[in-house]
Amino acid sequence: MTYSLAHLMGGILLLSTFLLLSQRRLAAMITLYQLQALTLAAAAFWQGYAQSEINLYLTGIITLALKGLLLPLALREIVHRFNLRRAVETAMPMALAMLLGVGLIGIAVLVVLPSTMSAVSLTREDLAIALSVVLLGLLVMTTRRNALAQIIGFLSTENGLVLAAIGMPGMPFVAEFSVALLVLLAFLVTGIFLLRIREHFDTLDVTGIEDIERRGR
Amino acid sequence: MRRWLPDDSGPGCYPYPVTNDLALMVGLPGQGVHLHLDALSLLFLCILAPQILASAVAGMRASVTFWVFCAGMVLALAAGDAFTLIFGFELMSAASWLLVLRGDQKPATFYIAIAIFSAACLIPAVFLPASSPVSCSIAFILIALGTGAKAGLAPLHSWLPKAHPAPPAGVSAIMSGGMVKIALYVLIRYSFIILTGAAQPWWGVVLIIAGVASVVIGALRAVLETEMKTMLACSTIEHVGLITVGLGIALRAKAMGDPALTAVALQAALLCAVAHGLFKPLLFLGAGEVKHSTGTTSLNWLGGLMRGQPRLGGLMLLGAAGMAAIPFGPGFAPEFLLLHAVIGAAATGGILARIGFTFVLAALGLGAALALGAAVRLIGIGFLGRPRSLHAASAEDARPGPLFGMGLLAVLMLPVALLPGQVLAALVPVVSQLAPQADMHPLAYTPLPLLLLAFLIATATGFVLHRFGVRGTREVAPWNGGFGRAPAWLPFGDPTTQPSATGFAQPISRAIAKAVLGKNGTDPADAWLIAPIQRLHLRGVRLAERIRRATIRQRLGVVFAALVLFLAALGLAEGG
Repeated sequence: MTYSLAHLMGGILLLSTFLLLSQRRLAAMITLYQLQALTLAAAAFWQGYAQSEINLYLTGIITLALKGLLLPLALREIVHRFNLRRAVETAMPMALAMLLGVGLIGIAVLVVLPSTMSAVSLTREDLAIALSVVLLGLLVMTTRRNALAQIIGFLSTENGLVLAAIGMPGMPFVAEFSVALLVLLAFLVTGIFLLRIREHFDTLDVTGIEDIERRGR
Repeated sequence: MRRWLPDDSGPGCYPYPVTNDLALMVGLPGQGVHLHLDALSLLFLCILAPQILASAVAGMRASVTFWVFCAGMVLALAAGDAFTLIFGFELMSAASWLLVLRGDQKPATFYIAIAIFSAACLIPAVFLPASSPVSCSIAFILIALGTGAKAGLAPLHSWLPKAHPAPPAGVSAIMSGGMVKIALYVLIRYSFIILTGAAQPWWGVVLIIAGVASVVIGALRAVLETEMKTMLACSTIEHVGLITVGLGIALRAKAMGDPALTAVALQAALLCAVAHGLFKPLLFLGAGEVKHSTGTTSLNWLGGLMRGQPRLGGLMLLGAAGMAAIPFGPGFAPEFLLLHAVIGAAATGGILARIGFTFVLAALGLGAALALGAAVRLIGIGFLGRPRSLHAASAEDARPGPLFGMGLLAVLMLPVALLPGQVLAALVPVVSQLAPQADMHPLAYTPLPLLLLAFLIATATGFVLHRFGVRGTREVAPWNGGFGRAPAWLPFGDPTTQPSATGFAQPISRAIAKAVLGKNGTDPADAWLIAPIQRLHLRGVRLAERIRRATIRQRLGVVFAALVLFLAALGLAEGG
């Protein structure tokens, strides 16, 4: 029962990350991210109940408040203010990105399952799912051109890390807390950067910056 | 730490009396600096000392760097352990780099790159454990590379004609006459004494091939170069090649167990080192004086110096006689012995050795002929004929200091030239230290009686001609070397009516140099070794620049791809 529910939530998380890869529109990406964060919060509560660990409840509350509500709100605000509702991502063919994503999930399973043979069997699958989420988030970061989409990729990478952390019994709470704080700070910093980029280039597409970089600073 | 003292139990041990070992408590903790003199290091100290004295007299005594340079060389020679040897060697390299830098920057940079390469080869080689034959062979290869780069052995020689002429003449003299000898000393020390137990015949073959290539390239370039000091540096490459051929034959013969051949080849190599250590500094000091009095060392702008500088010219003539290896000169006996050794070596080994050593003989013959050409060109173009510029016409005789230094070297050259048998007798302890089983024969060349005989014949002929010759006089126009009559507006003749140094070398350039050297007389080492390295460097720089200019997404992509590859490799390794 414990593990089947945990696996269900992990599966939802993985699925939403995978869908993130296939979305061209920012609004949909933010919604998917919110779904991811809510699932993660639920998973944290469930693990807290199963392991009877008060710290995991705290993690769940932080996740719910910060990632499930605050960050999506802020992201939507940015989309609204920058008028990005119709922005369409053109970096990579979606089919190719999804194929790569399938490959990454395969690699994650290939790595985690043999190398954690000694651990409890069902935690291992949780770990494989978490690694897949991390890799998919990184893929989103590298394939997208829009700065906001890259941030969403970064945030979902972090979600994968937290998923791994709550699945492991005995992970100290301080680590999760500091990771959450770090993410918030990173989000603030990148938000300011987005404003600056917008001021200079009239767009959030980083191709313009890359052109300048290529020409030599 | 490997020391060549009796408590050493490796294959490098050599029975020494401990009594003349001096340990100073500086240097590595618990180790100290060991000074030790044996026959070999004493011989090289004796080669080095007159040069240092001559250079100091010739005007280098005020330079601190010069004395550090000399101290490094002496320390390398007197070293009793590997650390001291390397310390002295690198001290010498660093100080000589500063001295080259005083002359010109570009050759100095090239030179320090070669010196660093040499150190990178020598340091691991010296501290390599000499436990198995394979590691001994690796150590030998590294030693040969490191010392060859420092001595100007082909194919690592192309820095030498650039770096040796750059510093002041006194330093050039010691670099050419002394520094390459230190490198050869290290080569001899390691290949004949320390690694002797593991010596293989092919070690000698490697040295012979490198030496022959140096002889041919060095001699050829010496004939073609028009700068006097560059030409002398090229000639140094040739003589280093001669010494190395001798060492290679000796090493091969020692490994194959041929005591007579080992002795002859070692005698040739050591005597060549002694002779070269005398006449090459003399020539360099002379070139410096030419530069001082005329402002140039380009042979195309000199000529007729013998008239204004008779003493300098006479000394240069002596040095050139040594360089050309003509009979009664100091360079003849070693060349004679070396040719004997090559002929002897052709009889040992199979058909391949026979063919190979025949080629070596031909190459050495070519080298000797070219060296003679270079010496004739040096004296004939630079010191005889008519001056090609006002500076050359108005040159006054050299300063007393350099003349004294050159005179010292010339006086020391006399016994080497006229009594080579006695010099070889003095080298007996060195040869028997390097090859204890070598059996030496007296030299079958005694120039002093020959010279006396030639003198007697000449006097007798003169007397006969004077006594019984045709009486009476007839007037003929004096032969003036084929010049036209000097026009009135050019008091010392039209320079273009006599052949230039370039013109003198033209037949050789057309006949041989086009085949051996590249177009425009470029060095093959430049074309086949330095240029590819430069291209590789350029490619590396471009790659680095592309990496530096990569966008954030590209960098992320690279890191991400590396991560995925690593994970995949991990998964495959664990799962498979």
